[in-house]
Amino acid sequence: MEDEFDIASEIVKGAQDVFSTMLMIELESEDALFNKGCEIQSNLTSMIGLGGGIRGVLAIHCPATVAKAITSGFLGMEVLELDDDVKDAIGEIANMVAGNLKVAYATIAINIELAIPTSIVGESFNMSGAAKSQRIIVPLKMNGEQFWIELMYVVN
Amino acid sequence: MLMMDLSAIEETTTEAHPLVDSISGVIGLAGTHKGVLAIHLPHRVAIAITSNFLGMDVDAMNSDVEDAVGELANMLGGNVKAILSEKGRDINLSMPTTISGRHYDYQPNKDAERIFIQFRCEPGEFAIELQLEK
Repeated sequence: MEDEFDIASEIVKGAQDVFSTMLMIELESEDALFNKGCEIQSNLTSMIGLGGGIRGVLAIHCPATVAKAITSGFLGMEVLELDDDVKDAIGEIANMVAGNLKVAYATIAINIELAIPTSIVGESFNMSGAAKSQRIIVPLKMNGEQFWIELMYVVN
Repeated sequence: MLMMDLSAIEETTTEAHPLVDSISGVIGLAGTHKGVLAIHLPHRVAIAITSNFLGMDVDAMNSDVEDAVGELANMLGGNVKAILSEKGRDINLSMPTTISGRHYDYQPNKDAERIFIQFRCEPGEFAIELQLEK
């Protein structure tokens, strides 16, 4: 049954759901990348740990422009800098997308618990997971601007 | 594990400054307590610790260093889990990840309680922080 479970499309659905209900923005998705890297330009990454039936991390990687646009939509006011509001907003988006993934996994009887989100802000940093983990990267576009959601996990 | 002596030099709840030429090992805790544990090491300290860990010379940042730092976060997370929950059974750890870069900020969560402890060992100083949901 788990073979039929399409994690990438669940991530896309979960993200589209969050963006359409919270921000009233329809996200476009591109083909997901499995176990290979891609050029990710992130100035702000928010990540949240997943434990239980799978051990993993879900991360949202945003260029500064996208992070500010999301936060502006979230708060209903213009945001000019990568300040605390932006970190909290993207962290909350990560939390909600992970929450949707938890619900999706529950339908195949896998229970996932969420940790709390944290954010990394910077010009040049990269993130890597455990050596033997599965890695899925979903490129998404919001009003034509690219950002990425990444899931790294191992099945318990 | 590493045969290194550690001394804690400072404990604060507010410390936040950019990390320069550093690597952070991060692991989430989920269950009855929710939180994140992170260990922040300057690259040279991470390299020295990895050399001790593996029992061989490591002279640059590479995937061995990332794995060692991730594993350190994993072990520290395991300790915290056992402290917060009897035999650790009500808390699950996430997968450890590492963040490495020349200049980045690791941001605490607004709604979390935060403990930040600075340590010193022979190759230099590093920090461990724990955030727990209130």
